[in-house]
Amino acid sequence: MRIGRDRYSGPATLAFNATPMVDIIFMLTIFFMLVSRFSSAEQIAMQLPKPDESKARVEKIRERVIVNCRLENPNDPTNSAVLYSIGPNRPEPLDVLADRFVAMKRETPGMKVVVRADRRLPYGPVREVMRVIAGSGVEVLNVVAHVAEVE
Amino acid sequence: MILTPAARRQRRRTGIAHRFRTRGRRTGRRGISIAVNLAPMIDVTFLLLIFFLVTTTFERAEGLLSSEMPGTMMAPTVALPLSPIVVRLTPGDNGIGSVTIRIDRIDTPPADFEELVAYLGELHGKPGFDEDTPVVIVAHSDVQWDHVVGAWNAVLRAGCTRVAFGEP
Repeated sequence: MRIGRDRYSGPATLAFNATPMVDIIFMLTIFFMLVSRFSSAEQIAMQLPKPDESKARVEKIRERVIVNCRLENPNDPTNSAVLYSIGPNRPEPLDVLADRFVAMKRETPGMKVVVRADRRLPYGPVREVMRVIAGSGVEVLNVVAHVAEVE
Repeated sequence: MILTPAARRQRRRTGIAHRFRTRGRRTGRRGISIAVNLAPMIDVTFLLLIFFLVTTTFERAEGLLSSEMPGTMMAPTVALPLSPIVVRLTPGDNGIGSVTIRIDRIDTPPADFEELVAYLGELHGKPGFDEDTPVVIVAHSDVQWDHVVGAWNAVLRAGCTRVAFGEP
């Protein structure tokens, strides 16, 4: 016996409505595209200083050299040696860095130096690298710290 | 939408063609179905989403603090004002990570960086001091770098514009 509208409707189909899922995926994709910032390979992962109500400003410096000062063994900060490296390069001793800074300063007089140092380091090793940078003729010191949290 | 043969005949007679059908087939002489294949776009969107999910790490942004280099500040060719404010940092008595703050010519040392901000703010109101008065941070070698940056930040918070590092 056939009944009304079902006469021509054929077999039942199981349809999955993907529209809401696609909507959410689009939203998530747009969100991540907007909030993602790709960190430079020069910025080696380390614990940076976090001053209260930080006055550090986000600046784009074109002709810059980043010097990373980090602990060789981050799990033992008191006994660890300090590694100095220019950008993502392998660590080098300070006298080699001094020669490099002099050469770079000669090549690019407007060069700016940015020091990224682990917050757990003692000031002594950081002062040593600052002396090396000052010896190359760089007059302004730029130091990296976390910026203030947005309330 | 599935129509009965009778309904199809009726539509042909009345000139109504159902132009949009769910499947991409010709629907007779009058209507051509228009269907956008969304599958590749959704595939790419999925890939982008997974990429961003995997690569995104939420961290506080990095910023810069600028100062004069220690060597240039102490160089004899630089004419220093007679009364720079000297902030001295030495390791504290409370173990690793503690710090003691002193300001030259001020008897009561600030207990923390908040007090340092207040002290420097008070100094600005006194004769001979203003926001252009240089502040020299002199830190002991064993003081943690975090405290040095904290002192530097406190000096900037107090409104001082000229900050430099000195040799102990």
